Amino acid sequence: MISEFNRNKIIDVALLDEKTLAVHGILNDSIYSLELDFKVNLSDLVCFEIEGRWLRYTTPECPQALNFLAQAEGFCLALGIEEKIHKTVGRTSCRHFANLLIECAYAVRETAKLIRYQEAQVHNPELTWQEFLLGESETGSNFSQKAAEDTEDASVAVSVAAPATGEPAKRLPTPATGKSGAFIIDMHMHTAPASPCASDSVEAMIAKAQRIGLHGICLTDHNYLWSAADIRSLRKKFTFPVFRANEIVTEQGDMLVYGFYDDVQGIIKLSELKKRVQAAGGFIVAAHPFRGFLTFGADDIGLTPEKARSREMFQLVDGVETLNGKVTATENGLAREVAEGLKLPATGGSDAHDSSSVGLYATAFTRPINNEVELLAALKTGDYQPIKFR
Amino acid sequence: MADNILKFSLNRATNVEKLDHGNLLSVCHLRDTFTEAEIRMVVKMPELEIAEISGHFRHIYLDGIDNLDDSLKKVLGVRVGAGMLKIIKGLLGEAENLDQIVYMVEECCHGVILHLTKKVLLKAPDDPAGRQEFYSEMVKKSIRLYDRCAAFAKGSPLVASLEAEKRAGGRF
Repeated sequence: MISEFNRNKIIDVALLDEKTLAVHGILNDSIYSLELDFKVNLSDLVCFEIEGRWLRYTTPECPQALNFLAQAEGFCLALGIEEKIHKTVGRTSCRHFANLLIECAYAVRETAKLIRYQEAQVHNPELTWQEFLLGESETGSNFSQKAAEDTEDASVAVSVAAPATGEPAKRLPTPATGKSGAFIIDMHMHTAPASPCASDSVEAMIAKAQRIGLHGICLTDHNYLWSAADIRSLRKKFTFPVFRANEIVTEQGDMLVYGFYDDVQGIIKLSELKKRVQAAGGFIVAAHPFRGFLTFGADDIGLTPEKARSREMFQLVDGVETLNGKVTATENGLAREVAEGLKLPATGGSDAHDSSSVGLYATAFTRPINNEVELLAALKTGDYQPIKFR
Repeated sequence: MADNILKFSLNRATNVEKLDHGNLLSVCHLRDTFTEAEIRMVVKMPELEIAEISGHFRHIYLDGIDNLDDSLKKVLGVRVGAGMLKIIKGLLGEAENLDQIVYMVEECCHGVILHLTKKVLLKAPDDPAGRQEFYSEMVKKSIRLYDRCAAFAKGSPLVASLEAEKRAGGRF
């Protein structure tokens, strides 16, 4: 038995003075070795004087990460700060420093709780943990308000529109097709604030789609259902075909769902989603089914199309997204081989999260599509193909 | 005040080993001032699906988790890869006494990913120019690395050729 990979993390928290914690964290694994030192105000769990050190790293540019650690100074390390650490330290500095800082934040919270418990015991030596925690919950000593303030800019709250019924089959003035006669729709894109991970508004995305000559777009915000009224308003404002769909998270990955207007929140089993979509007469497309990892691909782990086809997911979907703008050519290629092998129809979409990516990939239909009823009907015919649009 | 005496300490160790038929066993063990916990996970290769999982959890002030192994079974079949974190959180729930369990399941998955990453990184040349080229090609092959950390940030020497291709009208 050989350990192929190991990662060890050690976090120490000491009481520097009555008001301050000193935190030292080490992450040492088969690839990286790094350290963090910082201080924390006990009163509000705000961290300061952050210093990092690399002992081992990979690329020649990794040392630059140290210059961005100061962005975390002033963070309140209460529960809920993890996402903000990922989005700041993880994305501008290094995800491994972010991992270590999140581990340190957990240790800080536990330490603060221990100190408060020990202080309470001075007045009541018989105080149990349960009694102490009950008192904490009553007095609200958990810093949650400050953490919430800190995370406000890390995630945008969106209100989910009430489920709407299918959009009426209303025609736009002049549905256009390209020179080839194809009607080209970007079938996968996200908008802000409906998708917290997106950065451009729906208006900006539509404007870009019009400018580059797409014939329509499909809004596939994460677990977010646009209202039929909003879509009608957008179509009227831009005189441009805009369709509703949804990207729903299942235990087997993300699914693009068309012609299905239930408001699904959280994680749903794909088998359950299949039942509901089937009952509604909708259509499920496996989104980026082989979206992989940052440094290795299916070829590195020996995943062949034959093996990939046996995944349960492909027995439950109606189609496969084989051109997705956020994955590698290899990953798209594997999806295409699997779809072909299983004789499943294939779609294409940019998966744009900002306007710069709109229309990278799209789906070419053989005839104009005016509304969601026609889109759904077209999807079921299989008479379309994914294309590289620009 | 004796600032050399620790108030709290934490040790977390994650190990990945290869089993028969190429499957991977990933084990995350946590021992801190309040907690003793372990998650053991078998990942089926090359599908990278969680095939077996079990664990235990003891904590000084959090309640134990009834039928932890049954709860963990909710993640069976989940693919280790992009997007897994929201799936794991969604399946296991967000109760306070499950926070560490969710985190440790994620750590087991990260261990598997890093094990596979290590195999790729071992191919990097030793000479500086070769390393530069190796990582420049890596970000071109996996565009999701671009501008996602300081090393691959816009303007970094490692993304210079990618940005040149972008200016020339390439896909990126």
